[in-house]
Amino acid sequence: MNAPRPRVAALALAVGVVLADSSIVVLALPEIYRDFDTSIAGVTWVLISFNLVMALAAVPAALLARRVGPGRAAAVGLAVFAGAGLACGIADQLSTLILARCVQALGGAAAITAALELLPASVGSERRATAIWASAGATGAALGPAVGGILTELVSWQSIFLIQVPVALAAAVPILAVAKHEAATGILQAELRRTGRPHIAANIALAMVSAAIAAALFLLVLLLIEGWRLTPIGAAIVVTVMPLAAILGGRLGPLVPSAKARAAAGAILVSGGLGGLALLPKAEVALTLPPQVLIGIGLALVLSALTETALSGRAPQAIHGGWTISARHAGVVIGLLALTPVFTADIAEQRTDAINAGTAVILDSKVNPLIKLDLAQKIESRLEGETGKVPTIGPAFEPLPSDPEDRAAVEELRDELQEQLNRGATHAFSPSFGLAALIGLLALIPIGLARRVDL
Amino acid sequence: MNSGLRSQVLVGTAIVLSLALVGIYLAAGGSSYTPKESQDPCEHRAWTDPESLGEIANQFSISALDGAACQLGVTREALARALATPEARERFADRYGIDEEELARAVRAGLLRAIDDAEEAGALSPFIAGPLRGTIEEIPLDRAIELINNADSLLGNVQSFLGPAGDLLEEFLP
Repeated sequence: MNAPRPRVAALALAVGVVLADSSIVVLALPEIYRDFDTSIAGVTWVLISFNLVMALAAVPAALLARRVGPGRAAAVGLAVFAGAGLACGIADQLSTLILARCVQALGGAAAITAALELLPASVGSERRATAIWASAGATGAALGPAVGGILTELVSWQSIFLIQVPVALAAAVPILAVAKHEAATGILQAELRRTGRPHIAANIALAMVSAAIAAALFLLVLLLIEGWRLTPIGAAIVVTVMPLAAILGGRLGPLVPSAKARAAAGAILVSGGLGGLALLPKAEVALTLPPQVLIGIGLALVLSALTETALSGRAPQAIHGGWTISARHAGVVIGLLALTPVFTADIAEQRTDAINAGTAVILDSKVNPLIKLDLAQKIESRLEGETGKVPTIGPAFEPLPSDPEDRAAVEELRDELQEQLNRGATHAFSPSFGLAALIGLLALIPIGLARRVDL
Repeated sequence: MNSGLRSQVLVGTAIVLSLALVGIYLAAGGSSYTPKESQDPCEHRAWTDPESLGEIANQFSISALDGAACQLGVTREALARALATPEARERFADRYGIDEEELARAVRAGLLRAIDDAEEAGALSPFIAGPLRGTIEEIPLDRAIELINNADSLLGNVQSFLGPAGDLLEEFLP
C-alpha cells in the first residue's frame, strides 16, 4: 500500500537537503574565510567535518534506525539536523561552526538512512525507492553550491544554515505519523535480519568518483571566486550548469539498462570534464561550461548506477544505504584532504610568479615613469594587503590619467597585468584538477570489477 | 537498438566527448602557460632609439634597476617593488638580509651603469656623464632612489643637479 504523497515528498526532501549540505557551503567558504580571518586549510574543515562525520556515522545510524524504528530515527535525525543548522547560523567562532557541522552530520546520517528504510513501504517497490533516494541525493548535491552561492550573495553565509531549519522541520512533519505509529504499536518496519556483506567494488568506485566530483565543485568555486574574482552569486550562476546537466544525465540513465555501462560512461565524462578544467586555455568563464556539462551528465549517470549496484540484492536496504553514504562522503573527505595541500602550494607559487610577471610588464611598458612609480606604489600596497590569494589590481589604476595618450597606455597596461594574474591563477589550479581527473579514471577499475545482483 | 548496443554507444560517446574536449583545449594552448620571465639583470640590455626625454628617462630607470639588482643578486622586479615605498624597502631588507649601506652602494652602482648605457646609446653627452658620475657616487640613498624612480628630474634638469657647473655644460646636451 502506498503512503500519501506528502510523506514520499518529505522523505525525498530530507535526503536532498542533507546531501545538499555536503556541498552547499562551498560557495560560502571565501566569505567564511574572510569573516573568521582563518587559513584556506582551516576553512576547508567546515566542509570536511560534515563529510567526515557523515562517513563515520552513516552505518551506525542505519543500525540504530532499524533498532528504534526508522520513523523515529528520521524525525529525531531531522530535528537534530535543524537544531545544529541553527547553531551553525549563529556561530561566532570557526570552532563552534565546525562542531555544529559535525552534529548536523549526525542528525543527517540518521535521517537519510532511515529514509531508505521508509521509502520502499511508501512507494511500494524497493527498486523505485532506491531510484528516488539516489536521485534526491544527486540533485541535492548538485544544486547545493548554486543555492549556497545565491544565498551568500543576497543575504549572508549564515542564511545557508538558517534556511535549512524550517525546511528540515517541514520534512519531519509528515514523517511524525510513522514515528507515532511505531511508538503506539511497537511495530518496526522490518524484523532485524542478518546484514549481508556490503558491495565492496561499487562502494570503492563511489568513493573515488565522489572524491573527483568534490574536487570539481570545490576547486571550480575557488577558481571562480578567489582566482577570477567573481562574486558568490556570479559563481553560483556559473556552477548551475552542472546540476542542469545532471538533470539531462538523469534522463539518459533509463535508456541504458546496464548499470556497469552507465557507471563507466559517467566516470569517463567526469574525468573528461576535469581534464578540460585542468587545461583551460584562458581565464574565461565560458570555457568552464563544456567541462561542467560533461561533469554534470557524468555525475548523474555514475552516482545513480553505482548506488543502484551497491544496493541491489542486498538487505536491509538502510544498512547498505549507509555504506554507500559512508563511501561517498569518505571519498569527498579524502579528495579534499589530498587536493587541498596540492592546491595551496600551487597558488602560493603561482602568486609569486604572477607578481613578478606583472612587475616585468609594468617595467617594460611605455607608460610615463612618474605614472609607473605611482602605480608601483599602489600595487605594492595592494599586494601586501592581499596575501594568500590572487590580488586584484584594478583599483590601483584608478583614477586613470586625463591625458588621452597616457590613459590609453595605462589601460593597456592594466589589462595586460590582470591577464598575467588571471592566467597565473588559472594555471595554479591545473595540477589539482588533473589529479582529480586521474582519480575519476581510476574508478573504472572497481567499476569493471563490480557485479550487479538483481533484486 | 538492443541494450548491449546502447551500452556500447553510451560508453563510446563518453570517450569521444571527453577526448574531444581535452584535445580542443590542448590545441588552444591549455598547457602552454608560462609566466613572463624575469630577465637576467646582469645581462646588458641595448637601448632602443629614444625619441623623447620620457623614453630616455624610462630606459635610464630600467638600466639603473638592472645594475642595482645585478649587484644585489636579485631580480629587477623584486628591487623595483622594494623601491616603491619605505615599508616595501624594509620588507625587502628583511627578506634578503640586505642593510641600508649595501642597498645604497647597489643603487649608486645601478645609476652609474645607467649613465654608462645612456652615454653608449648617445643619449647623454660624455661631458655631462663624467660630472654626473662624480655626483652620483656621494648622494644619499633616498635621493638615489628618487633618481631611479624619476629619472626625468635628473635628465631634464641636469643644470640644477650639477650646480653652478651645469650652465657651462648645457651646450653639450644632445
